[in-house]
Amino acid sequence: MINLKKLTPIPAKRREEMPNSKLGITFKEWKASKPNKHKWRNIRWGVLLFFNFLFWASFAFDIGVLEGSLSGSRFLGIYLMDPFNALQEMFIGSRTGYFAMLTMNFFIGFFIILIFYFLLGGRTFCSWLCPYHFLAENTEKLHNYLVKKKKIKEHTYSIGIKYIFWAGFLLLAILTKNLVFENLNPVGIISRALIYGPGLILLWIVVLLLFEIVYSKRFWCRYVCPIGVTYSFIGKLSPTTIKFDLTKCGHCRDCQDVCLVPHELWFVKRGEATKEIHFAGADCTRCGLCVDICYGDALSYSIRGFDKIT
Amino acid sequence: MKKSDSEINRRQFLKNGAFAVAAIGAVGVGVNYLRKLNEENALTLLRPPGAILEDEFIYACIKCGLCVQICPIEAVKLAGISDGLSYGTPYIDPLAQACDFSCDAMQCVETCPTAALDFIPFKKAGEDALVEYQKANPTPGPDYNPFIVQSQSMKATTKMGIAVIDHSTCLARNGKGFKGSPREDGFKGIYRSPNPKREERKASPVNDHIFNRELCDLCVTECPIGEIAIIMEEKIRGNGESIWRPMVLEGCTGCGVCVMVCPSTPSSIIIEKLEMI
Repeated sequence: MINLKKLTPIPAKRREEMPNSKLGITFKEWKASKPNKHKWRNIRWGVLLFFNFLFWASFAFDIGVLEGSLSGSRFLGIYLMDPFNALQEMFIGSRTGYFAMLTMNFFIGFFIILIFYFLLGGRTFCSWLCPYHFLAENTEKLHNYLVKKKKIKEHTYSIGIKYIFWAGFLLLAILTKNLVFENLNPVGIISRALIYGPGLILLWIVVLLLFEIVYSKRFWCRYVCPIGVTYSFIGKLSPTTIKFDLTKCGHCRDCQDVCLVPHELWFVKRGEATKEIHFAGADCTRCGLCVDICYGDALSYSIRGFDKIT
Repeated sequence: MKKSDSEINRRQFLKNGAFAVAAIGAVGVGVNYLRKLNEENALTLLRPPGAILEDEFIYACIKCGLCVQICPIEAVKLAGISDGLSYGTPYIDPLAQACDFSCDAMQCVETCPTAALDFIPFKKAGEDALVEYQKANPTPGPDYNPFIVQSQSMKATTKMGIAVIDHSTCLARNGKGFKGSPREDGFKGIYRSPNPKREERKASPVNDHIFNRELCDLCVTECPIGEIAIIMEEKIRGNGESIWRPMVLEGCTGCGVCVMVCPSTPSSIIIEKLEMI
């Protein structure tokens, strides 16, 4: 992103170049011309609920399709491993000199996750599987309502602090020889509560959600979660991403309002884009909310490199 | 304009970053406090078979719960937040449901992806037992089943802890017999009786077994390991009177079946982890 910013932006579009002018209608009419769609959101929620249901059903009915929880599981007999847990284990092992936990199944699980999420876009995990994302996405509406009614103020932070949290949690794991983050991790907590039955620790999830509702929008996902950061590293150069087509964009910036990580859509601001085509960066969860809301279809799912072929 | 923007960003990052570092520090202090608080508690949690030493176990276990899912008698459970840093790690409460080796194959150990329950010693014991069996019986009979030979030695390799008997409440030690079902009404624990007269392949509820003993010896007869783990020992007192009492031997695996079937309330037997002795 920093490199891209050094490029000189393409001059902002003139009035007659805007997509609404091409159709000969006003900007408002143009925006109203497209009905509200929730295609990708519905598909995504379906996938998320299906896999979390599969986790639950595998234990509840002993069907053994997707055993374990989101911190480590076995899908049809193939082990899968949470990458941040795996990182912590490796770092702790390098301090204690005890490496027996790094088994063959551990590496099989770790590398399958690395390859799978590299292909599908890294933080895809967040919006397509993470149960906390699902809860937070829905309580976010309440937050937006309260902000709109001016009951509360919005608080935003520097997006870079998540890297401090990521390094900090790793450091804590090494220093205390303990998977510290796993005790605070809403992904694992909700997943375990779902599968093995609820416990008092769910209060922590309530606290997090309340904080996000009354103080800072999507605080955990945006600024803290080291699992998300790990996945964003995995998906840094991922082929699957969101494509932005400048010629179709009306610069309404509604996509940034619905986005979990609006800074990844920096190019939609009028006069910022440096190329005709942009791709969303590593923090993008590929949730598709921007694709759904875009009035001119300027944003779409794409696989880098394949556009030229088809 | 641009410059001041980046300057604001930099300042915000430093400010928020300081907050993040402080938060991490707070978590660190909390964890350290919990760890000290937890040191005794964690040791009292009886881990499933094959668990490595607690110091390593606490980070080798990724809290996935695969061991919980595979256990056919639901003996393995995940600890709650009241166990502090042990939250999410597996444990066995023998008083509620002991491990009776019903699965015959150390499935919880084999399924563990991070070897917090370490299968290597079991695998080795099983292979050694086969080799030894073939040496002793060069021409095995028709009822030779290598699986049972391996399974027996794997069971005996387990070392979850060791049974400790409180002789002051033990019925046998006090010369009492026992009639009826061993546990209180509504008790849901199950186990597979090793008694050959009641040979069953499946585990059945503890209270379905009705006992009638002149002298209570349930812990000895129901032990899945057998006479290398626990025996009835006769002791002649100074006045010539003989008393019997159960005696735990080296071979005890700490599975906890004796704890579960003990008719005393509360159970006269507890399992102590080896690290505590």
